Amino acid sequence: MADNLRRDEIPPGTLYMLILRMLARHGEMHGYEIANAIQQVSEDVLQVEEGSLYPALQRMLLKGWVTAEWGVTAGNRRARYYQLTTAGRKQLHTEMAQYERVSGAIQKILQRA
Amino acid sequence: MEWLNEFTRRLRFRLRGVRFDQDLAEEMRLHMELRAAEAGDRDAAQRRFGNATQLLESSREAWGWTLLDTLRQDLRYGLRMLASHPGFTATAVLSLALGIGANTAIYSILNAVILRSLPVEDPQRLVQIRPGPSGDDVFTNPIWEQVRDRQQAFTGALAYSPDRFDLAGGGESRFAQGLWVSGNFFRVLGVPAIRGRVFTGSTGGEDRRGSAPLAVISYSFWKRNFSGDTSVIGKTVRLNRHAFEIVGVTPPWFRGLDVDQSFDVAIPIACEPILHAGHSSLDERASWWLRILGRLPAEESLQRAADRMRAIAPEIFRATVPGEFPAQIQKQYLQNSFFLEPAATGFSDVGAHSRTALFTLMAITGLVLLIACANIANLLMARAAARQREFSVRMAIGAGRARVVRQLMTESLLLAALGAGAGLLLASWGSRLLVHLLSTTGHPLEIDLSPDPHVLAFTFAVAISTAVLFGFSPALRATRIELNQVLKESARAALPGATRFNLGKALLTLQVVLSLVLLVGAGLFLETLRNLLTADPGFTRHNVLLIGADLQQTAVPPARRAAAYREIRERLQAIPGVAAAASAMFTPISPQGWAQPVQPEGMTADSPRDRLVFLNRVSPGYFKTLRTPLLLGRDFNERDDLHSPKVMLINESTARQFFGAADPLGKTIGLNQNDVYQIVGVVKDTRYNTINEQPRRIAYVAAGQDPEPESSMRFAVRSGVAVETLIPAVRSAISGVNRDISLEIREFETQVSESLLQPRMVALLSSVFGVLALLLAMVGLYGITAYTVARRRAEIGVRIALGARPGSVIRLMLQDLALPLAVGISLGLGASLAAGRLVNSLLYGVRPNEPAQLAAAALILAAAAMLAGYLPARRAARLDPMIALREE
Repeated sequence: MADNLRRDEIPPGTLYMLILRMLARHGEMHGYEIANAIQQVSEDVLQVEEGSLYPALQRMLLKGWVTAEWGVTAGNRRARYYQLTTAGRKQLHTEMAQYERVSGAIQKILQRA
Repeated sequence: MEWLNEFTRRLRFRLRGVRFDQDLAEEMRLHMELRAAEAGDRDAAQRRFGNATQLLESSREAWGWTLLDTLRQDLRYGLRMLASHPGFTATAVLSLALGIGANTAIYSILNAVILRSLPVEDPQRLVQIRPGPSGDDVFTNPIWEQVRDRQQAFTGALAYSPDRFDLAGGGESRFAQGLWVSGNFFRVLGVPAIRGRVFTGSTGGEDRRGSAPLAVISYSFWKRNFSGDTSVIGKTVRLNRHAFEIVGVTPPWFRGLDVDQSFDVAIPIACEPILHAGHSSLDERASWWLRILGRLPAEESLQRAADRMRAIAPEIFRATVPGEFPAQIQKQYLQNSFFLEPAATGFSDVGAHSRTALFTLMAITGLVLLIACANIANLLMARAAARQREFSVRMAIGAGRARVVRQLMTESLLLAALGAGAGLLLASWGSRLLVHLLSTTGHPLEIDLSPDPHVLAFTFAVAISTAVLFGFSPALRATRIELNQVLKESARAALPGATRFNLGKALLTLQVVLSLVLLVGAGLFLETLRNLLTADPGFTRHNVLLIGADLQQTAVPPARRAAAYREIRERLQAIPGVAAAASAMFTPISPQGWAQPVQPEGMTADSPRDRLVFLNRVSPGYFKTLRTPLLLGRDFNERDDLHSPKVMLINESTARQFFGAADPLGKTIGLNQNDVYQIVGVVKDTRYNTINEQPRRIAYVAAGQDPEPESSMRFAVRSGVAVETLIPAVRSAISGVNRDISLEIREFETQVSESLLQPRMVALLSSVFGVLALLLAMVGLYGITAYTVARRRAEIGVRIALGARPGSVIRLMLQDLALPLAVGISLGLGASLAAGRLVNSLLYGVRPNEPAQLAAAALILAAAAMLAGYLPARRAARLDPMIALREE
């Protein structure tokens, strides 16, 4: 239970950034692919509760960072494919810049301590 | 702009809302199936995914319209609850509709005549100029011309005077509501013409003496009398038989400055000599008839403008002093000044005369609404008690208290909304009915009651506040529950709760207090009306016809008027069925009059007020016609003419106050230095202007001794037969004297009873609302007793099984009512005394603290309360103990 809770604590903003990053790298993806991609790239360190992708994706749709289109998977199943918009790409840059600023600052503090 | 895009996306999402859930569910299912296929374990896949239902919820929340969704849910649920308890819903909605409707109706009249600004350009900048801080608000034309030419305090000043003009060509009059206006009247107000033009204003145009007879007509007059004819400009309208050329039509929203009297025709003040040839008021320095208004410049304060007007006042009054008046009056005249007062709301007779009555009615309806709220709160609490299990279950499965309160408040708001909707319908009908009731034949009220944002806002605010008043407290109390306890115990055991019951009793007490105030009020107003109707006015008003005859438009010269009036009187007397006929300058209970200080023989100069007498000039037979008893001396007779000594009759009050115990006959009273009359008779006191006035000093002089009869005269005809059947004969008798005489005929009884409209209306409405309040209080008492009986069924069953008699069971049940009733009645008596003082000016012949009135109201209330409590209590006493006990 405790592990689960810790994983849930990923700040939503970070989740957005991860999703945006994955979409920026791979182009069109559906939810399952996004979850797998995050897992693979982070080498299983980051394990999101997979379902929480979906509320996050809805919020991003609302913000206009991504668009969704129904398509067909390789296995011939109906799936909703998400794609980055210009606004989404801009958002990714701001979030990454901000993240680097914050994490850089934290790192400096940790090194000096 | 981002929020706009977001809004568009939300909206688009909304439009395909149903598919959202399916789409998302399908997406999630795909995810889990793929994961399960990969991991080979369905459960693990589900664990990794999380709570799908909750995720669906929070996805939906992302779109942020949840509030709307739950609101819709609450509404649907609330409607279902209301529909499933039709009895409760009908009672609540009906009492709210009556309460809100009555409030809205009174408010819309109050709004129209007192609160609402005139629909003219920037009404807040309009101010009225008055000769004193209170009292009369009119000026003479010479003063107006001075103000017009000299003032610099305003961007424009206007003068006007309401009047009525006869549209008929002769015979019985048909009146149009008229306005005398200065040339710039419409321009200063900012009222354009929708056809033709308004008056062009300023001294060059219609203000010029000898201006052509021009008229601007109102929209409704145009529609009514010209059927909206587009070629009306240039046509003529005949006013008092003079042709006026129509130059323009005003827009429908402009009805004049008098809000309860729409104007039909406006004509220039400068045309006044056309209608009043030979006695024009234009240069009359003693004829006060014009209201003067000004428009403040944008940056000017009322104070600064007032200072500027006061600065020019001495000059203006010096230039217009009535030279023919005695020196002392001239001195008084010169002390006049100008006072400014905001005039944004216009002028209203109803507003001026019925202000207290309207505010009293507003208070009464407010109290009724409060009682209705208390009642509904009581009903809601009883219902909440019955629904406690439902609330407990809802809260046990996770609904927050706020959520349940919200649900209950939604139900309350629904009730209030239904009540307000029905109330608005009632109000639009009720306010029209009220205006109709207040209208008189001679003076029909035309108040604009079309829906108005202020009235709608008022109703809306009232509805919301009622919902909060009756709904909030029960909702809070209903949800303050110990979950486990309620769920564990049986539904009935959970019902009693000391605090809840005390609130019920408090509400009941409040209802008793308010109902008692209303009952006392109704009693006082009914007593007032009864006193007014039975008061002895000194005359008998039945079977008398009043006829106003106007010679203005005839060829009869002033020297022949006396003879014409005498001939009319003789012809009236000769009509079969006429018992007596007479002429008089004024008939009683009308707004006109003649009052002046007089000089009674042997009385030293007191203040003019103590020597003031109301006068009338009457023909022989006047007292016989009105059946005013002659107490001493003789009536006038035909020998009292211009060649005989001047004689006078006085009433009892005059005799007593001027001559005390001495015999007044043979004494003299002087109207002026050279105008001295000998008293030949004393008549009984009569009312002069109103039925509810105190007895006044009245003196009568003889019609036959009038050196300069006026151009109009009133006649009174008493008949033994139904008086209205005489009208054709009266008409032909008078036109037999001269075909051009204008006539106005009405019954004396109508004139008197119309003067009592306001007390009649206040009495009627306060009784209706008093009875309504009593009924509502009874419903409340009935409800709370029935609730007590239901709660204590088992106990009652035991008592009966152990041999309690029905009487003692009933007493037991009624005991609960006794305290709120006793407390309520004593508080209510105190409140009634306080409220009574506020309405003292509306009462006649009854004091607000009349013990009999208070006692009667308290008794009625107590009896009604006991009856309401007795019905359910008797049911309790007839309870079959076996059935009650078996239920436990």
